[in-house]
Parts: sequence; structure tokens; C-alpha cells
Amino acid sequence: MTDMIALEQLTKNYPGQARPAVDKLDLTIPEGEIVILVGPSGCGKTTTLKMINRIIEPSSGIIRLQGEDVTRADPDELRRRIGYVIQQVGLFPHQTIGRNIAAVPRLLGWSRQRIADRLDELLHLVGMDPATYLGRYPKELSGGQRQRIGVARALAADPPVMLMDEPFGALDPISRERLQNEFLRLQGQIGKTIVFVTHDIDEAIKMGDRIAILREGSTVAQYDTPETVLAAPADDFVKEFIGSGASLKGLGLARVREVSLADWPTSQISAGREAARRALDSSDHGWVLLLDEQRRPVRWVEARALQGEGSLDRVGLEVRAIVEPTATLVGALESMLGSRVGVVVVVDGSGAFLGTIDMRVIMSAVEVMRAAAHKRVLDDRRRVRAGQEPPANAIAAQ
Amino acid sequence: MNFVEYAVENYDRLLELSLDHLAVVLVGLLIGGVIGIALGITVYQRPHLRNAVLNVCGVILTVPSLAMYALLLSLLGTIGAMPVIVALVLYSLLPIVRNTVTGLSGVDAAIVESAKGVGMGRWRRLLSIEFPLAWPVVLVGVRVSAVLLVGVAALGTIIGGPGLGELIFAGLRVITSPNAVNLALLGTLGVVVIGMLLDAAFLLLSRLTTSKGVR
Ligand SMILES: Nc1ncnc2c1ncn2[C@@H]1O[C@H](COP(=O)(O)OP(=O)(O)OP(=O)(O)O)[C@@H](O)[C@H]1O
Ligand SMILES: [Mg+2]
Repeated sequence: MTDMIALEQLTKNYPGQARPAVDKLDLTIPEGEIVILVGPSGCGKTTTLKMINRIIEPSSGIIRLQGEDVTRADPDELRRRIGYVIQQVGLFPHQTIGRNIAAVPRLLGWSRQRIADRLDELLHLVGMDPATYLGRYPKELSGGQRQRIGVARALAADPPVMLMDEPFGALDPISRERLQNEFLRLQGQIGKTIVFVTHDIDEAIKMGDRIAILREGSTVAQYDTPETVLAAPADDFVKEFIGSGASLKGLGLARVREVSLADWPTSQISAGREAARRALDSSDHGWVLLLDEQRRPVRWVEARALQGEGSLDRVGLEVRAIVEPTATLVGALESMLGSRVGVVVVVDGSGAFLGTIDMRVIMSAVEVMRAAAHKRVLDDRRRVRAGQEPPANAIAAQ
Repeated sequence: MNFVEYAVENYDRLLELSLDHLAVVLVGLLIGGVIGIALGITVYQRPHLRNAVLNVCGVILTVPSLAMYALLLSLLGTIGAMPVIVALVLYSLLPIVRNTVTGLSGVDAAIVESAKGVGMGRWRRLLSIEFPLAWPVVLVGVRVSAVLLVGVAALGTIIGGPGLGELIFAGLRVITSPNAVNLALLGTLGVVVIGMLLDAAFLLLSRLTTSKGVR
């Protein structure tokens, strides 16, 4: 497989800025693949992308397109060979949809007939009816339709390369998902070389054949397939960034009953001090949880308070942080933060002890959820690429 | 003779002077429009130059028209339509330049970037994207200038310029005669009507020349 685009030591210094926005970036984009540039805000994704079609002129370094050094080529001719899609779409509002899409072919001097045929073809390609839409103006379309036209305009002269800067970023989640799926199916037919910028790791995993995770200065932290990035993050930065996805928004909805609870030393009050001391000694915790006859949690007790003799009814601390399995994890976390022991006790409907939740339980729940979310995105992507039905929520939106 | 009788009697002369008046205004406006739009295009992306040009145009507009005519008469050394047209061009600049700058700067940056992105060169971008989008705003400037010039042109008669000013000044010269008021009134009314007609014409032109997509 040959490289369609090669960036060599590409650098951009903005005037009055201490550090370069893009710092000696080396990156190669293989032909026919979708390469995602992803990273935190301000890391230089947009600057990198816009240097490829020289909307932003590099300060130094080389851009190669199909092996040819285009760093100093005529920028207008270069741009006619590169499709360009931006988040704001930027359709020409005073021109009809047909005229918008025909922008590059007209610049290239195509014949009327050839342009007309191509317009028909492109509208079918993006799933819109030519007879209905060609004569309309951009303001007469929905946001999703506008972005489809933006894609059609970029594809008009069949350029080998497409640059896309957060193309679906301004859409509502349902439209975004639909357009992502449509675009993946479209790419299955056209096989362009695509550089795609996003700051959403979930979108990166779904859309990318390869993902370049960038840190400040557009430095490559990892450049790999989505599977590899997820399975073997190169460093803590990548690990943390992968964890930043919207997939974690599920934490607020997850319930206590969905996580595996931690065990804790317990003892019945009626069993006396000796039993409580034994329970504590046989564990590596500093507190023992005392239960009443119905196994309901009553007191937290430390080893010190267990010395001596007498009833256990009044020793230690009252157990306040108690939740039932139907509570949310976020709720449990809040109770935990208010507890001296740092632990939430989980009880069943009758108030009997089931187990506890501590920080480790929450962290491993997050890990499980994260892995499940990433698996969902990967499955989703596999399904869409195999040309199967889109996921249920996308169908519901049709 | 009351005013209506007087107007009917002098209808031919009124029409002739009105057409002259309109012609001199349109010539001034056309030249001023071309210069003003060209200036606007030249300076809209250069903040320092833009401010300088707008300031100069603003100063021009504050010169009283009588003083302007006197100045031009001595500078150009000639009377008649020519110095009047020069004055009209100068007066027309501020609204046209200002609105051209405003219109062009107001074009959405994403649209300009898209035009670059499809490979349009500097001039192509200006002519087929930026200027058409700025056009309604530019045209408002031209319309404001048009109405302004109709009034300024009326004073052009003092340096031999054509138009309805002749009636007004004739009225002034014979201020004691019974027809003085009729003369002045006829000239003034003509000026007002031409102003209103031009205003309406430019509104219509704006409708006709603005794309359906941006209306
Ligand atoms: N025209 C400019 N002049 C000066 N500095 C700029 C300019 N454009 C971008 N920068 C700076 O360069 C850095 C990279 O910006 P860039 O727009 O490439 O980031 P990004 O990764 O696309 O961020 P985001 O995800 O927010 O879009 C930022 O620190 C930004 O402030
Ligand atoms: Mg960006």
C-alpha cells in the first residue's frame, strides 16, 4: 500500500505564539484509508489539516501528495485535487445546491452535460433526490442535508483525497450517527484517502481505519488501528484520552446492582467482642461492621474500641452511608465521600447486609463500562462497514 | 396664477430640467459607485488603510456644498456639469465605501474558507462569492448616496450645472415677483420627487438583483 499523503517535519508557528501549533510533525496517510486526527482542544488538529490543502501555509516542512512535493505548488490547483469539508459546511448561500456542488467542476472547465450527469450521480450517492434538491438554496435544507451536500461538493471532481474537519460536529446526536453510518457506507464504494479531524474518541474509533492521537503541538502520541489503540494504549496520555469518551456518560445511569460488591468483615453484635475482634483480625481492613439479629448494619467499629468488655450497642460509629441495589453509582459515590470509613454499605429490601462499595469497586465498574462502550462502538463500526443494518436507534430516527 | 396652474404651464421645462437633474445625479453616482466600490474592495482587509479612507470620505461629506462648489470652480477652472459631477462623486463616496467594507467584512468566514477550499483564486472568490453576498449591503450605500446627491445637485446651478436648481435660483433672483414662490416650490418639489423615485428604484433593484437564497 502506497502513501497518498506524507507530512515531513511539518511545522506551523503562529505569529506572537511562544510554541509552534504544529511542531515537526511526521505523518503518512496510506491510500484509501480513513485516518483520524484526534486529540484535546487546541492540540493542533485543525492547523495540521488545513496545512495539507494550504488554507494555512506551513512555516516549514514538506507536504507530499501522491509522492509529489506540493509545499510550493499553486494552492488553487492543489485544492481542486483535494475535497474539503468543514463543520460549518460553508455552502454558498446565494447559489443553488446544484451550483454549489458544481463549484470545482466549473473551475476545471467541465462541459455542461458532464456537470449535469455528475450532479445527478452525486445526489444519489449522498441519498438525496436530484429533482427535489438541485434547484433549492442551502437555507431550504436541514443541517444534516446541508452536510451531505457539503460532502457531495467535496467529492464533485472525484478528488483522490478528502479533508474533513469535525464534519458532523454541529449535528444533533441522531443525525450525527446517521451521517457517520452513511459516510462509512459511501466510503465503502468510493475508497478515498480521508483525513478526518475530531475531538471525540468514540467517533475516532468508529470512523477510523487508523487513529493518530495527538498531544499539544500536534505531536503523535500513538498512530495505530482503533483496535490496537484500545487494546494497547501507548502511554498514560493515550489511556486517559481514550477514557474521555462520551461512553462514560453512562456512569450516572448505572445502578449499584450492576456492579460486583466488595466483601467486608462483619460480626453480629450478639456474638460479642471476641467474635468481632476475630473478624477484624482475619481481614486487612481497619473497621469491622456490626450487624443486628436481622443482619442489618448497625455500627462501624475499630480495633481500639473492641478492647475491654461489655455490650457493643454503643461503641464505634453509627452506619450512615447505606444504599439499596437500585441506587445509582453516582449516588453511591456521593454517600461514600460523606462517610468516615470511605465505604458504602449495600443492603437488600429488608435492610440486610449484601456487601460494600468502595473506590476500587467504582473504578473497576468504570473500566468494565468503558470496555463495553468501546466494544459497542467497534461492533457498530464493523456492522456498518459490512453493509448491515444500522443500529436500532438510527433506524428509529429515519 | 396659483401653483397648480403654474406647474401645468411650465410642464415642459420642468420635465426637461428634471431629466437633466436625474442625468447628472446618475452620472455622478455611477462614477462614485465604481470608485467607492473599488476603494471598499481595496481597503476592507487592511484595517489601517480602511480607517484612513473612511475618515477622508467622512471629512469630504462635512464640507458644505456651496464651499465645495466654490473650491472646485477655482481648482478646475471651469463651470458647467463637470465640476458638479466631481462634487457629486466626492459626496457619494462615504456611504458607498462604508457599506462595501461592511458588506464584505460581514461575509461568513466559513463561506470564504469554503471558496478557498474548492480552489477559487482571489478574484474569482471576490467576484462570485464575496461580492454577491455583500451586494445587498453595498446597494443600500448606493441608495443612500443617490438620495443625498439629488439634493446636492440642486445647488450645482450656482456654478452653471444643469438641473432643477435653476428653478429654485430663478425664484431667488425674482424674489419680489409674484412667481418667485411658484418657481422655488416647483424646483423643490421636483427634487423631492426625483429623490423618492430614485429611492424606490434602488429598492426594486435590490429585490431584483439579490439571490433568492439570501433574501
Ligand atoms: N490564527 C491563529 N493565530 C494564532 N494562534 C492560533 C491560530 N489558530 C490556532 N491557533 C493556536 O494554535 C493552536 C492549535 O490550534 P488548532 O485550531 O489547530 O487546534 P485544534 O486541535 O483544531 O483544536 P479544537 O479541537 O479546539 O478545534 C491553539 O493553541 C490555537 O490557539
Ligand atoms: Mg479544530
